[in-house]
Amino acid sequence: MSTATTPPNSGQPHNCAHAHAHDHAHGHGHPHPHPHSHSDDDATPPLAAVQDIHFTYSGSAEPVLRGASLALRPGRRIGLLGHNGSGKSTLLHLLMGLLRPQSGRVLHRGVPLVSETRKTREADFVPLRREVGFLFQNSDDQLFCPTVLEDVAFGPLNHGASPAEARAVAEATLERLGFAGFGSRVTHRLSGGEKKMIALAAVLAMQPQALLLDEPTNDLDPHTRDRLIAILAAHSPTHLIISHDWDFLAHTCDSFLTVQDGAVRTATHTPHTHVHTHTGGDVHHHHG
Amino acid sequence: MHISEGVLSPAVLGAGAALAALGVATGLKRLDYDRLMTVAILSSAFFVASLIHVPIGPASAHLVLNGLLGVMLGWAAVPAIFVALALQALLFQFGGLTVLGVNTFTMALPPVLCFYAFRPMLSGPSRLRGGAAFACGFLSVGASALLTAAALALSGEEFSAAARALLLAHVPVMFAEGVVTALVVSFIARVRPEMLAFTSTAHG
Amino acid sequence: MLDEPFSRGASRLHLADPRCKLVAALAFAVCAALLRSPGPAALALLTGAALCLWARLPLPRLLRRLAAVNVFVAFLWLFLPFSLPGAPLLRIGPFPGLPDWLAPNWLSLTATDAGVAQALLVTLKSNAIVLAFIALAGTSDITAVGHAVARLGLPDKLALLLLFTWRQLHVVAQEYHRLRTAAKVRGFTPGTDLHTYRTYANMAGMVLVRSFDRAERVGQAMRLRGFAGRFHMLAEPAGRPGDRLLAAVIILCAAALLAADILQPLAGLP
Repeated sequence: MSTATTPPNSGQPHNCAHAHAHDHAHGHGHPHPHPHSHSDDDATPPLAAVQDIHFTYSGSAEPVLRGASLALRPGRRIGLLGHNGSGKSTLLHLLMGLLRPQSGRVLHRGVPLVSETRKTREADFVPLRREVGFLFQNSDDQLFCPTVLEDVAFGPLNHGASPAEARAVAEATLERLGFAGFGSRVTHRLSGGEKKMIALAAVLAMQPQALLLDEPTNDLDPHTRDRLIAILAAHSPTHLIISHDWDFLAHTCDSFLTVQDGAVRTATHTPHTHVHTHTGGDVHHHHG
Repeated sequence: MHISEGVLSPAVLGAGAALAALGVATGLKRLDYDRLMTVAILSSAFFVASLIHVPIGPASAHLVLNGLLGVMLGWAAVPAIFVALALQALLFQFGGLTVLGVNTFTMALPPVLCFYAFRPMLSGPSRLRGGAAFACGFLSVGASALLTAAALALSGEEFSAAARALLLAHVPVMFAEGVVTALVVSFIARVRPEMLAFTSTAHG
Repeated sequence: MLDEPFSRGASRLHLADPRCKLVAALAFAVCAALLRSPGPAALALLTGAALCLWARLPLPRLLRRLAAVNVFVAFLWLFLPFSLPGAPLLRIGPFPGLPDWLAPNWLSLTATDAGVAQALLVTLKSNAIVLAFIALAGTSDITAVGHAVARLGLPDKLALLLLFTWRQLHVVAQEYHRLRTAAKVRGFTPGTDLHTYRTYANMAGMVLVRSFDRAERVGQAMRLRGFAGRFHMLAEPAGRPGDRLLAAVIILCAAALLAADILQPLAGLP
């Protein structure tokens, strides 16, 4: 994101203060892990954000989220922690418009998609979904086309690419991830690890600005897991990852949040501190 | 029970193909692209359920559940059953290309009738639900067996004994189907009641 | 169970364009289904066997598949030989030594030459079509068949339904096997009782409910990738040159068999 674009709400002190509070929370322990300057971040609205979200599943008495806020800014690599059922996945589904909150706002580059004052339509989320790719927990939910090439080309085709263009983009993406020649493979014959990587290729083929990954290392063998870490390091400048795999988060993220009591907080017990105190945490990584 | 290739007369094969084409076209017309994936997933689930063999005394029969499929999918059940039979032909060589029409017709007409007859009682809360579900499974398989036997008997005098035997053999299967359909519906009603009100088509 | 044992291979038939093979298989099946005399039907069976030989299909699996298909044919053999008038070949009953209530009149049956000929004809035709179908359609995987269906001009909704059902079938089947294994390790042994029926019904119900939930997640995944009610297909590369010729030859053979079948009585051949 360049500094040349004038943010629409730069004149509103309230928004700035809000963004600043978030920044401070995220950057704990890693003041400037991203290439952008601090003032730049303050002035530019985040790529995607949820503000003060309240959400209860229908048929349930207990609310999952009570005033949760989260902002995804370019250059940020966030790890999202929390217990099972704490509402991490729910939060991402709300951000992507797959669920609608009972109250609160969802914004795309400062533009409200969901708010108290407007009626949200499915089409409102199309620009956001173009810029933010979502990797599902279960690859079988995501890979529904018969062959790998068709699956990877599905997004580009939906976004108006011609079949030839979509094929070219899909093949280039597969090659970039080290899966050249996988195009004609039949999806259901792939191994679990291959499925996860092809699902990632399908998301990356849409050339998103940021990625949301929901427990990407579940059922991955160590080799595929290392490959995923390398791919994220090379191709994903901005992402938010839900995971219980602390070692993986330590490799792929530089700030850590947790969902607790229905709200997003700065993680006090981060993968970094965990890895250092843990006897098995002999991973090599660099700070700053 | 699917009739294999090379048995039926040309007239019966032709009529079956024409009726099946009509049914498949109607079903596809009423099926939105939006719900295509859901219909595909549900019909693959019914396909897998049909691989379950339940013991009936010393013998066993595989589940059909085509009545319940009809109640949930309506007219979309016809292309769904056509696809399932095509897959069976490709995977196991049960049935085949020329009998695909006849087999689709005999297996898919009863479900469509079940949709109109039993859907109201199955999709809402009803004290009659258990009985309706039993009747749905019992009658659907019975009607399919009857149509299959008719296709056989219409193909020549010499097949009438086999047709009668086929029908007779399906009587215990009808009871098993009725019981299992009632139990499946009661399971879904407890676990996921909104599933019974799923509509695969924009106009019912 | 959901594997496609005949689809892998390097024979000329495996490499041919599935569209050409499907058209040829359909033409062969229709022609063979119309045959009325054993001579041409036997030739059709030979043609089917020759195609399987050419495709170099694994013989044990092929025979096992044929055995399963012939269950229905065997069922017909129980009735057909006794169902047509003709010269008697085999008589069962009447049983003069037995009382009437034990061996009533209808139990005495007579197998005739016409009846046996009819059963034989059905057997020849049925196996001929199945062999040709395995050699032609079975040598492509189902994904390729699905694409061929769309490119042959059938409705794309039908092709998509076939492809998506096939894709999901594997996921659902895996789920069902997990459920069945879980029941087995907890000591479930099927029998003809309500407990068995309830257990199977719960499994079937669970498979349906989980599939319904998955349908929702897959729908979400599609929407996130820009799906708006329209599927776009990638063009597939065409087959090899000569595929059309191959299909034409098979179709001509089938047509010749049918012609021979029709002309045979006219020419007064045996």
